Amino acid sequence: MLNEGRIDLLERAPLLKRLLKARAFQPAMMLATLLVFTLAILAGIAGTPAGSRNFGIVFVWIVWWALLIVVLVPFFGRLWCTICPIPAPGEWLQRRAIVRRGAARLWTRGLRWPRRLKNMWLQNFGFLAVALFSTIILTRPGVSAWLLLSFLLAGVLLSALYKNRVFCRYVCPVGGFIGLYSLVSPVELRVADPNVCADHKTKDCITGNEFGYGCPWMVFPGSLTRNAYCGLCFECLKTCPKNNIVLNLRPFGSDLTVAKERRLDEAYKAFIMLGCALLYSAVLLGPWGWLKDWANMDTLPHWALYAASFLSANLVLLPGLFGLSVWIGRSASGSGQPLRRLFVDYAYTLIPLGLAAWIAFSTGFVLVNGSYALTVLSDPFGWGWDLFGTAGMHWTPLGATIIPFLQVGVLTAGLMAALNTAYKIARQHGIPHRAAFVEALPVSGFALVVTVGFLRLYLG
Amino acid sequence: MARRELLARIILGLIVIGVPLAVLGYQYGLRPATSSTRIVDVDLRVPEDGGFAPDAITVLAGEPVTLRFSALDVTHGVAIGPGLDVDLGPVDPGQVKAITLTFDHPGTYTYYCTTWCSDDHWRMRGTIQVIDPANPAFVPTTAPDPVIAALIAEGVDIDAAHGSTDAHDADQPLVFARPLSAARGAALLPDTTIPAEVSDPAWRRTHTPAQALDLLADANPGAAQVDVLDVIAHLWTAGTDPGSLADAQALYDQNCAACHGQYGNGDGPAADTTAEQPVAFADPAYLFGMRGDVLYAKIRRGGMGTGMPNFGTLLTPDETWALVQYLWTLPVADLDTD
Ligand code: SF4
Ligand code: SF4
Repeated sequence: MLNEGRIDLLERAPLLKRLLKARAFQPAMMLATLLVFTLAILAGIAGTPAGSRNFGIVFVWIVWWALLIVVLVPFFGRLWCTICPIPAPGEWLQRRAIVRRGAARLWTRGLRWPRRLKNMWLQNFGFLAVALFSTIILTRPGVSAWLLLSFLLAGVLLSALYKNRVFCRYVCPVGGFIGLYSLVSPVELRVADPNVCADHKTKDCITGNEFGYGCPWMVFPGSLTRNAYCGLCFECLKTCPKNNIVLNLRPFGSDLTVAKERRLDEAYKAFIMLGCALLYSAVLLGPWGWLKDWANMDTLPHWALYAASFLSANLVLLPGLFGLSVWIGRSASGSGQPLRRLFVDYAYTLIPLGLAAWIAFSTGFVLVNGSYALTVLSDPFGWGWDLFGTAGMHWTPLGATIIPFLQVGVLTAGLMAALNTAYKIARQHGIPHRAAFVEALPVSGFALVVTVGFLRLYLG
Repeated sequence: MARRELLARIILGLIVIGVPLAVLGYQYGLRPATSSTRIVDVDLRVPEDGGFAPDAITVLAGEPVTLRFSALDVTHGVAIGPGLDVDLGPVDPGQVKAITLTFDHPGTYTYYCTTWCSDDHWRMRGTIQVIDPANPAFVPTTAPDPVIAALIAEGVDIDAAHGSTDAHDADQPLVFARPLSAARGAALLPDTTIPAEVSDPAWRRTHTPAQALDLLADANPGAAQVDVLDVIAHLWTAGTDPGSLADAQALYDQNCAACHGQYGNGDGPAADTTAEQPVAFADPAYLFGMRGDVLYAKIRRGGMGTGMPNFGTLLTPDETWALVQYLWTLPVADLDTD
C-alpha cells in the first residue's frame, strides 16, 4: 500500500546504493560545494563591487539559484540539502569528524529548542527578510558575502548549542521552501515496510550506530509520509540494520495530498513563496518603473512604503483573498468543515503553482543572464584574470524566443497540478463529487487568476 | 577510515585557509612581483564617489608601466592625453582594461573619462607625472600656449559673455533669413570681391565672421546680406581635410556633445546640470560673433564658473584647432554631417 506505484531506485541501481551508503559521499560533495562557497564569499569581500562580474553574485544568485529551483527541487526534492555547505562546518564540529563515524555523542551543549519554534515560522520570516532586501543582497557582492557567512556562522553556533541540524530544520530560510516544494518532487526517501520499523526495538536510525548517526533532521524514517523534513542525508540508509530504507521514484506531487501533517506555518510558507514570486515578477518584469525604484531603495520613505506593501501583500492580502475564496467554496458546497482547516488544506494547492511560477521566473532570468557565468569563471574577482580565456566574453542573453513558451508551459502545468490538488483535497473532506467540485471551485478560480497574472507579467 | 578522515581534514583546511591565502597572495604578492612591468591599478567610480583612485600617478621616463582600469559602479571610458592617441573605449562595471605605456620624456599627461558617467563626469580626471629618473625633482614647466598668450597680450577677454567678441557695425544687423549654405557661397565666390585680409586664413582665425561681413559688404555694395553670409560660411569651412574633420567630430561627440548637444543646439542630455546654459554652436547668431582663436582658448582653458571644463590637458593644440574647425560646420546647413 505505502510504496504502491513506486520504483525503488536503490534496488534498481545497486551502485547508487553503494555510493549513498559510503560515509565519504556526503562529505566529499560538501567539501566541493564548500570550495565554491568559499570562493563566493572571498569574491564578495575582496573582489569587484560590480555584481555582474563577481563570482559571488553570479554563482550564488544565478547559477546556484537556477540549479536549485529549476532542477534540484522540482526533480529531486531536498537533494540540495545533501550537499549544502552551510551546515557542514557545524555538523562536522558536532561530530568531531568529517568522514568517519565520530564519537558516540554529539559535541554540543544539547540545549532544548523551544517548542514554539518547532515549525516553519522562523524560516517564513527569514525568507521575507531576505526577500525584502533582495535588491541589495542580489546586486552587492559584499552584502551577499556577509549574508552567506552569517548563515554559516549561525549554523556553527546553533550546532554548538543544540543537537543535530536545528539550523536546517527550523532556521534556514532556504531550507523552508525547499522542504515545502519538495512535496512535489518525484523522489522520496521512505521505509519499505513501516511494520518492520515498529517492531524494531533499538531504532538505530534514531539512535545511530557504528555505521552512522541518528537522524540529524530529527525525523523518524519509519513514519515518513512526506518529503518536507527529511534532508536526504542518507544516515538512516547507513544505520538501518534491517535494510528497510528505500529511495522511491513516484508521481509528481504525491505528498500534496497527504492530509495528516498539514499546518498553518506551511500554508503561510506557500503564500509567501507565491507572493514573492508575484512581487518579484512585478518589480523586475512589470512596466512600473517607479516600483523598481522603490524596491531599489531610491529614498527611505519609498522603500518603507514598498516594505509595508510587500509584507502586507504576503501576509495579509494574498492569504485574505485566498481565505475569501475558501469561505465562498465552503458556503456554496455546504461542507461543514471548519474554515481554518479548509484554509490550511487548500493552501497546499498553491505549492505546485508557486513552484511553477518560480521556475518560470528563474528560467527567463537565467537564460538572459547566464552568460555572465562564463565571464566570472575566468575572472571570478573582477581583477582582470583570464583563467579559461572567457573573461572578455560579452553578455549574450539566450533563448529570447523560447522563454515565453517555456514559461507558458510551466505555468500551465503548475495550474493543472493546482486544480487537480484542489479537487483531491476537497474529496478528502468526505463529500461527494459534486459538493467537492463546488467547494474547490473558488480556490481553483483564485489559482487561475494568479496564473493569468503571471502570464501577463511574463508575456508583457 | 583514519586516513580518509585525515585527508578530508587536510582538504577542508586547504579550502578554508589555503584557497583564500593563495588567491590573495597571488593577486597582491606574486602577480605584481612577477610582472615584467610596474602595475598600477586604477579604480573608476563616478566623481561623486571619488572618480579615479588613484588620481595621480608618478612614473619614470623610459619605465614601462601597466595601467589597469577597473570600473566599479557604472560604465566609464578611459583615454589618455594629450597627443598619445590612447583611448581604451568603454569600461563596463566590473570590467578591467589595461594598457602598457612607456613615456619617453618627462611631462604631465591626463587620463580622463570619456563616457558621460554622471553629472560631474567632466571632473573625472587623473594625472600622470612623468619624471626624469636622473633628475626626479625636475618638473618641466609647460610652455604657455602662444595662441592664448597672444589673446591676453591683445587684451581680449576670453571669458567674456558668449558671442559678444568684436561685434560688427550696428547699422548692419545680422539677419539669418535662410539656412546657411556653403555650397551656395562657393558658387557665388567668382562674382564676389574678397578683401585681401578675409582671404587670409590667419586673419580669419583672429576675427569674427561678423567682422568679415562688414568688409565684404563694403567691397560688394549691392550684394544681398544672405548671399554674403553664405560666402562667409564657405570661407570659414573650406579646405578642411575630411579625415581630421571626422576625428574632430569624434572628439566633439566624446567630450562636448553631452552639454552642447550632438548637433550643437546646446541641448545635450547634461545641459541642465551646468552652471550656465551651454552655448548653441548651431546658432549662427552666436557663432558668427566668435573668433576662432577665442573658441580655441575657451576649449583649452575652460570657462570660469560656467561649467565648461578645460580640455587643454587632454587635447593637443592641433586637435583643438580641428575641433574649432568642426564647430564652424555646425551652423552651416549643408555641412551637417548627419
Ligand atoms: S536546510 Fe538550508 S542549510 Fe540546511 S542543508 Fe538545506 S539549504 Fe542547507
Ligand atoms: S530520514 Fe534518513 S535521510 Fe532523512 S534526514 Fe533522517 S537520516 Fe537523513
